[in-house]
Amino acid sequence: MWETLQVVLIYTFVLGSIYLLISLGFSIICGVLRIFHLGYAYLFTLTVYLAWMFMKELGFGLVPALIAMVAIQFGISYLIYKGIIMKYMDREEIILTGLLLVSIIVEQAVNFRYPIQAGVFIQTTLVEGSSDIGAVVISNQLLIGAGIAILLTVLFVFFFLKTRTGLAIRALSQDIYSSQIIGVNVEVLYTVTMFLILIPVIVGTLIVAPVWAVDPTMGSLYFTTAILVAILGGLGNIKGTIIASYLIGFTHAAVSFVVGEPRFMNFSALVLVMIILMVRPQGIAKSEALW
Amino acid sequence: MVDVEIRRDRIILRYKGKKWDWILEPRYWRNTLLWTAGLLVFPILCYFISPILLNTVVNANLYAAIAIPLALMTLGTGRINFGPNFFIGVGGYTAALLSIAYGWGPLKTFPFAVLMSLLSALVFSPLVIVARGLYYVLLTLLLPLVFMEITFIYTDTFKGDVGLAGIQLLLNTGMVKVNFLLTAYISMILMLLYLWVINKVIKSRYGLIMATINDGEEVAHGIGVNINKVKILAFVFAAGMIGVAGWFYAHYFGTFAGITYLPLNFMIKILLVIFIGGRAQIFGCVVGGYFIAFLEMILVVTLGEIQPVLFPVILAVLLFTLPEGLFGLYRRRRYREYLPTLHVRR
Repeated sequence: MWETLQVVLIYTFVLGSIYLLISLGFSIICGVLRIFHLGYAYLFTLTVYLAWMFMKELGFGLVPALIAMVAIQFGISYLIYKGIIMKYMDREEIILTGLLLVSIIVEQAVNFRYPIQAGVFIQTTLVEGSSDIGAVVISNQLLIGAGIAILLTVLFVFFFLKTRTGLAIRALSQDIYSSQIIGVNVEVLYTVTMFLILIPVIVGTLIVAPVWAVDPTMGSLYFTTAILVAILGGLGNIKGTIIASYLIGFTHAAVSFVVGEPRFMNFSALVLVMIILMVRPQGIAKSEALW
Repeated sequence: MVDVEIRRDRIILRYKGKKWDWILEPRYWRNTLLWTAGLLVFPILCYFISPILLNTVVNANLYAAIAIPLALMTLGTGRINFGPNFFIGVGGYTAALLSIAYGWGPLKTFPFAVLMSLLSALVFSPLVIVARGLYYVLLTLLLPLVFMEITFIYTDTFKGDVGLAGIQLLLNTGMVKVNFLLTAYISMILMLLYLWVINKVIKSRYGLIMATINDGEEVAHGIGVNINKVKILAFVFAAGMIGVAGWFYAHYFGTFAGITYLPLNFMIKILLVIFIGGRAQIFGCVVGGYFIAFLEMILVVTLGEIQPVLFPVILAVLLFTLPEGLFGLYRRRRYREYLPTLHVRR
């Protein structure tokens, strides 16, 4: 009993932290731009496959490949913002479908060039091996990842609460028109937000890439988790996102180790989300603002 | 006593407070008749040119038969459902499982497929009331993905990765080409039936109520419309019709795999039938269905392996360049009916 509890608690912490990293960017973009980045899945896929492409095709080392990948990700984000989001702000159905198409195009292009048989693998392991915590054996990479996730979230919270730019982005998330009146440069801040969300996604993907499966459809899996966390937490609210990540982590851990059916992980999380939405239609958070 | 009134453009019959219109003026029915005749001749042409095209015709009809009720759902609930393929899965798996387990043919499985689609829609119908803003989009998007996962979890039942095989076929005349031709006509009749029924609904008093809900829920509520009832009815009714497409797929191919119909790739195709066809105009769904099915087939034949990459690229270009879809090009210079606004967040 005690051992099961230990396992559930530790995996809740680790999975919850990783999910936080995966869904933080999605939540922020929902909160600030008030749109749904349905193309979010492509970010995960590109992180791994662009790095791999630079290493394999152009002979880059790991660090230069990662730098080049980040630069390209920033460029694509900027193009998506200018070409789709900004242009069709009043036609949400076009934005959503267009972003979804971008995600599908990336997934299909990656699958065309590097199908699953290509055996793509990037060596971003920070610490090898595993650790024993009580009765639990867990990968060091995931433990370090959980620590980085918490650190990054704290930095993000600090940025939004204590810096002028963060304050302006929060104002934007509350009311776009009032923010414009007081002199907030909406377009610049939207672009900054598009860039900001890349950080947790890229860091998260690089952490889990050596431990979890890498294939061209990996983005959809992480995107599903991000959606569940974002809905449960209340779209765009960081406090809600933090709580929701750990709740989903707990559900996954409990279903895997108490019920003994890891296959039910996503299904159980969806049931949890639906139950909570019945009680609180706006999710866990009290408001749809960023904080 | 039947009262006959002859007008310039129509003959009106009145009997005990009921009224029937018979429109004489050709401009009201000429184009519809010509398009329908063209559609009905098309499978025969394909039969003689290249029978393989008949499969594309069936796909086109089914895309339209899914998109037309989805357009009604969009109008009646006042928001876009991003997971209509969930009901294809429900209808298809019900038909497939019953056919395999009891050896039932399509006629026997049909009522159960419809019933299960309606029931599942009823279970999830509170979403159209409870889920506000973007939550509805997210939850409807997740439904088919979670269903797909269930098909993998219970792989003994659903055969998640390979799909169910051994379903009784829709038709078996003993001649493959004739089977394809007849199936093309059955799918066309199904699509035209949907088009006719939903066109009637949209032009009726209920259509007006739905349009009111779509344009402004508060206004609709203010004039005494029971919004929740209309929304749930539109959701469940349309879901039942979409479920029939799943039943059709199962009996047409004799196999049914959730992995074909439940992922985002299939869902996006249906959404694009609506958007590229004509922004939720039901006649545009037919144009969209045929355009997307034939474009896909042409790209498969001409481009080979790179088709999965270029197909969404072309669709994206069309999505961004046609503000009212392909049907909008036709409608631009002609009589314009009610053009529903597409709402994502309510």
